[in-house]
This record gives sequence, C-alpha cells and structure tokens, in this order.
Amino acid sequence: MRSPFAYTPRPGPLQAASPGAAVAYLGALTAVAFIYSSPLVLLATGAAVTIAGLLAGARGAVRAALRMGFSLAVLIVVVNALVVNRGETVLARLGDWPWLGEVDITLEAIVAGLAIGLRAAVAMVAFAVYSACVDPDRVLRALRPIAGRSALTATLVSRLVPVAAADAARLRDAARLRGPGAAEVGKAALARRLLAGSLDRAVDVAATLELRGYSLEPPRRRGRQGLRGFYMPGQAKSTDRSRFDRRFYLAGALLLLAAIVGKALGADDFHTYPTIEIAFGPATIALSALIVASGFLPRRHKRRPARLSTRIVEAPRV
Amino acid sequence: MSELAIRRGAAPALAVEGLTYAYPEAPRPVLEAVSVDVAPGEFVLLAGRSASGKSTLLKAACGLVPHFHGGEIEGRVEVAGMDAIESGPGQLASAVGYVSQDPETQVVSTTVAAEIGLPLEMRGDPDLDRARAVEEVALALAIPHLLARTVDTLSGGELQRVALAAALVTRPSLVLLDEPTSQLDPVAGDELIWLLRRLNEEWGVAVLLAEHRLERCLAAADRVVAMAAGAIAFDGAPAEFLAWSQVGDPALETPAARLFSLAGIEPLPVGVRAARASLESRELRSLGPATAVPHPGKGVESEVRPSGQAAFSARALWVELARDEQPHDVLRGIDLEIRQGERVALMGRNGAGKSTLLKAAAGLIDPVAGKNEVLMGMALLTQNPGDYLVRERVGDELPGEAGAAALRIVGLEHAVDTDPRDLSGGERQRLALAIALAGRMDGERLPGLVALDEPTRGMDRARKDDLVALIERLAAGGAGVVVATHDVEFAAVFAERVVLLGDGVVIADGPAADVLSGGWYFATEVARVLDLPGVITPEQGAAALAAAEERPR
Repeated sequence: MRSPFAYTPRPGPLQAASPGAAVAYLGALTAVAFIYSSPLVLLATGAAVTIAGLLAGARGAVRAALRMGFSLAVLIVVVNALVVNRGETVLARLGDWPWLGEVDITLEAIVAGLAIGLRAAVAMVAFAVYSACVDPDRVLRALRPIAGRSALTATLVSRLVPVAAADAARLRDAARLRGPGAAEVGKAALARRLLAGSLDRAVDVAATLELRGYSLEPPRRRGRQGLRGFYMPGQAKSTDRSRFDRRFYLAGALLLLAAIVGKALGADDFHTYPTIEIAFGPATIALSALIVASGFLPRRHKRRPARLSTRIVEAPRV
Repeated sequence: MSELAIRRGAAPALAVEGLTYAYPEAPRPVLEAVSVDVAPGEFVLLAGRSASGKSTLLKAACGLVPHFHGGEIEGRVEVAGMDAIESGPGQLASAVGYVSQDPETQVVSTTVAAEIGLPLEMRGDPDLDRARAVEEVALALAIPHLLARTVDTLSGGELQRVALAAALVTRPSLVLLDEPTSQLDPVAGDELIWLLRRLNEEWGVAVLLAEHRLERCLAAADRVVAMAAGAIAFDGAPAEFLAWSQVGDPALETPAARLFSLAGIEPLPVGVRAARASLESRELRSLGPATAVPHPGKGVESEVRPSGQAAFSARALWVELARDEQPHDVLRGIDLEIRQGERVALMGRNGAGKSTLLKAAAGLIDPVAGKNEVLMGMALLTQNPGDYLVRERVGDELPGEAGAAALRIVGLEHAVDTDPRDLSGGERQRLALAIALAGRMDGERLPGLVALDEPTRGMDRARKDDLVALIERLAAGGAGVVVATHDVEFAAVFAERVVLLGDGVVIADGPAADVLSGGWYFATEVARVLDLPGVITPEQGAAALAAAEERPR
C-alpha cells in the first residue's frame, strides 16, 4: 500500500515547477504561519495550503495531513489548557492535580493552544503537499552538486523508506504465520530484525548507486552552455526549469514581503493573555485575502481551443 | 550468432585471468584461479550450482568486487580494456551494466524515467542526449508506457525491465545478469531472455548471464561456462556443455537433454527447436498416444485425486486489494478444494493472484465476498523464509515439545543449538517451515494444509530435489501440500494436480500431466518437444519414444 504522502507524477504547475520554486512558494506559506499568531491569518494560511494541495491533485496527502494536523492540534489545545493557568476567563476549576498543581481551564489558554495547533497543522499540510507534488529525484539532482554526501544519504533514505515499509509488512505477516508452538515474536524482536534487514537492504541499494556512477565527481555546467542560460543548438536545455517557476518564486517573495509589511502595520495584533485581543483591521483582512488567493496558484488553466484564423465563407449559391 | 558479430580476435568485452578472491574474513576463497573471457557481441551463459562462485564472478566483472565488498583479490580483470580491479564500479559504469536477481533494490529513483537516466546524469551527459538515450532504451525494451510511472507501482517483471534499461542506457559493451528471471513467471522469463538475445544481436552488446533454469536460456547462448566450487569446470558450446553435464554435473542437465539421453538419441538438443528437428529427422515426431509412465515421486495411481478429507475449500471467493490508489479485484470468484495428502502446484503469471489466495487461506487477507475454510489447520511459508527467523539459536525459535516435533518433521532435530544464519539456504527454508508448523501438529500429525509460496527462487536442482523429498514427506504425513510456483519443471516433478490462475480466476485445474502438457508457457520442456498429452517428464517422454521406436512403421 502506497503512502498518501508519496510523490505521484501528475500534470500541473506545482509538479512541473522546479524544486526551488515549489519550496519558495510552500516555504513562504509555512513561514507566514510561523511569523503570525493571528488566528485569522493562520486560518487563511491553512486554507491556502489546502487549496493548493487539492488543486495540485494531492487530495490523499491533504486529507491525511489534515487528519494528523487536527489530532495534533487537539492534543496541543488539551495540554496547553491543562498546563497554562494564565487568563482571566476561567471556564472550569479542576482542583489540585499531581505534578500540575492547581489546574484552571481558561478560555485564553484554549485559544492560545488553538493558535499553536493551527500553526502545526498548517506546517504539516504544507509538507504533505510538498512531499506529494515535488519530485524527490529533482530535489536530489539539484542538491548533488552542492552537497554530494547529503544527497547520497537522502537518496538512500528516500529509497529505503518504502523498502523498509514493505519489509515491515512482510515481517508482520511472518510473525502472524508462526505456529502457536514457536517462540513469540515481540515488537522489539521485530524491530531488531527489521533494522538488521534494512542494513542489508542499504548495502544493496548503495551497491546499485555505485553501479550507476554515484561516486563519480558531480557534473558541473559545461562550457557548451550558452550565454546567460539561453538555449544554443546542440546544447542541453535544462529540463529542471519550467514556465511556472516565475509564478511561484514571485508568489513566495510577495507573500513574505506582505507578511513583513503587515506585521509592521499591526496585522498580527493578537494577544491571548490576560484577555483575548484579536485585530481584524484592514491590514489583517487584506493579508488574509492575499494569502488565500495565493492558494489558487497551482490551478491548471484549461486552454481554450484556438480560434480559427480562417473565416469560413459560405459559397454563393449559383 | 555469426562469427562476424562475435568479432573474435577483437579486444574482449571481458577478460579474466587467474582470478582468486576471498570475501573479508572468509576462511577460503570463493573464486580460485578463474580464467575466462567474453568476446564482443557474445552471449555467454554462466551455469553452476548455488554457491559455485557465479555471482562473485559477475560482481568482479562490474567492479563491486573488491571495491564495494572488500576482501583479498589476485589476478586480472579487464572490461573493454579497463582494469576492473583498479577502476571502481562508477568508472566501469559506461562499459558494463549489471542486473541482479532482486529488482527491488536495483532502483533508487522515484520515477522510471529518472531511474533509467540516472547513469547518464551521473556521467554528466547533457539533458537532451539523456532524454534521447532514455527514449531509445525504453523503446528497445518495450517500456515507453512506464516512463512516467513511479517505481513503487511496478510489478516484479516491470521492475526487472527497468533495471535492465538502466544497465543498458549507457550502451555498455557488456551486460551482466545474475539470475534475472528467478522472480518472473515463465512468460516474462522467456520474454526477458529473448529480449536479451535481440539486444545482443541488434546492439552487439555482449551478455554474461548466470541462470539456474538452463532450459530457458541455453538455446539463446553462444557459449556456456560452468562453474564448480569457485573454478571453471567447463567452457564451450551449448551442445558440448550438454554432453559434458551428463558426466560432469548431471544436476545441470536440461530436461530435453535428459529425454534424449534416456532415449539414447544423439546429439543432445540445445533447445526445443533442435529437439523437434532431431525427432523429425528420425520420424519420431508423430508419436502415438502417451504411455502412462510414472516419474520420480509420483506413481501412476497418484494421477487420480486422493479421496482424503477436504483440507481447504473456497467458494466464490473475491479478494480486493489496493493498486495504484484504486481498489482492484485480485481474486474473482474462486472455487477450489484441496484435500489431505494432495500435492498441488498453484501456477499463473505474476499478479494472477497465487500469493493472495494463499494469504486469504491463512487469514492474512479478508475476502470481500465468498467463503474460504481451512478445515484442519494450515501452515504457510511465504516467499522469504528469512522473515520467520528472528532469534540467534534454532532452539530459541522452537522451544518445548511442539518445537522439537516440528524440527523432527523437517529433519532439523540435530540443529537445535545452531545459529539460523549458519544454516544453508535449504535448511533455513526448512526451519522457517518448522516455525510455521510448530503447535499446529497433533503429536506428529500435520495440519490439514501446508502451503509454500515460491519456495524454489534461486535454488539449484539439487536443492529442489531435497524440497521435493520434503513435500512428499509432508503429503505422506497427511497434509495437503499446495505450492505456488513459476517453476514448471519443478511442478512437473512434485505435483499431482496443477491449478492455473489467470487474472484472479481458475483457468485450468487438473492432473499435472494434463495441465503441463496442454499449453506452451505453462508446459515443461519435454511437453513442448513432444507435444503429447500427458507426457511432461523426461522419463515419460523416453518411454513414449521407446514405444514409438518399437511400433512398426
């Protein structure tokens, strides 16, 4: 069974974009979530990454990340409500708890936990969209000339994860098929066996990488390249760039710029303690609208059929 | 192949001279004074039993030995004029391609196109050249439709083709293959061998192919090199190899050669076509009705289904699994009954539903419709026996009286204190079976059904004979034994009944002699040669030939 987060090639701007462009766009959205605490901005960012993922076709990844993000957010809200006693609006007094002492559940602690949980959920959805839409081969290819060893490690890991998942499923099946008279296999024994098997697998995968020439010096851009990256006859045209790159780089820069300007203009005026204060000024609303709009960038424009340049003139009846 | 194509006298694609090699900390060398060469454009078959040194020789030819594995090496290995002992596998990658038997660990990229293009990318080839080379090799291997797929959605056969494409994309002068068909069904296996032959003829690439199922590839080879205990035992033409194998190592004899040798016909045939031509020249092709002749492990009376109690029954069984994020019916309304004491081969191409049926019987997968019942217990040994071995002492895997009884059944009672890793491949398989059986036996009485999934992968004939003996012992002990296998010759030896699956439904179910002589891909070599209903083994074929000789013309 494939992980919902596994990369699947699909036609679409986000998949076609170079890894740098995709990272700039999704990274900017994640950065906004970490810069801002305003629930409105966080909700807008969450909506943007969700829309982006759905438009890019990563429905399974978005759904799984939302499920996980929601669970994590609930956990954070509960822990924050139990641990933090600040806030003036006490909803419940739970008395003296071991280790925690006097526990008061306040509305402010719940809202503060919600903001943190929302931020974590946004980061998870953004990562899920990245994982499902950005080709890891292209990432590693881009990384190799810069950091060869890191790229090798990342390649090994990216290949070993699905192999180890398949091995784990097989080991679990084998454990279930042991006769009742055989020694029981606990989780620790299975994990040990999986680790030992993974080391063997890693050696095999590393051998394959050797055979593919991974140990050779990373290729540099050759002298046959044209000036300023223009395509010259007989020269390789880089397939790692796409016509959508500019769109995502610009969106990333614009989002970050707007976030910084918005912060300066008080768009993130949000305080939870001692009482909740949320700014809903024009700056916050404008920034939120911009963020939500950015979520539509991965939309694939359907081409209209080209208009015929030739007019069809009815022949005159004779 | 023509002498011109083989270009003897040109610099060899591979030249090995006096090669002796020992793995790190190994007590003795695995290769000893090996000298062999492969001419440009030659197709060489590397034969030999398990652990005879075939894989190590291939690894030395691509530079993995000693560069990747370490150890001590002496002698000379040259690939297309490059010193393979001095140069690493990366430097040799342009001159030599390597494909191993496990396709899963031979892919490192996410998509097929990226995987095939990886060696060119590592070499720094421009993108356009790379794109063209990928397209060309994909067309040559008939996989252009796979280029946009991710590797984790491919079947074993497709993965093996992708690995071969990645090995060929640099247009190497030599390609090395280590049992590439061991996980493939007969159809995919035959296709791969003839694809190799076509590439060998069209591209002029030299091929060094290590295989156990020689009948599958002998006819495609220009030359055979046989290894025994780390040394070259034979080096010559395929026809000469067959003559040598009769005395040198009968375990390497092909079924057609054994048929001719039992019938006293010379020369021994290199393949089905040569065998048919030889019989036609003797006017023996129009044989009469098959003579019922038992073959080893199977009496004539066993062709009749045993009247034991039902051990397993499936009624209108439907199983659905996810494939490409979509639910897919893997079993579609299977009706099947297996009785105690029966020996059944479950066959079919990759993805036909064999393993799924066994897993459903063992309760690992729930059916979406229909019913399956295991009436007197079941033990299932899956494709990787190593998955069952998690402890460092045989006795720790199988404690108590139930464990001891299971060890006795598989003949491993002497190995209680041994580390499972020190057991041979066959013994490890028997230990895994004992683990599956332990506690499911009533004293020494076996469960109603014992199932083995692809137990002969990578096995030589001697180990297969041991497995046949074990299956017979289990069946004689009252268990219905069902073996999912691609190995037609193995099925012909052990099975009395063959169930053939095709796309999740039973497409043939009957006595082994009928099913294995009634087609082309799921038929033994002898059946393909003689084309006689019910004749599937060399012994049966020889008897039929003898009867034809005696018949007045």
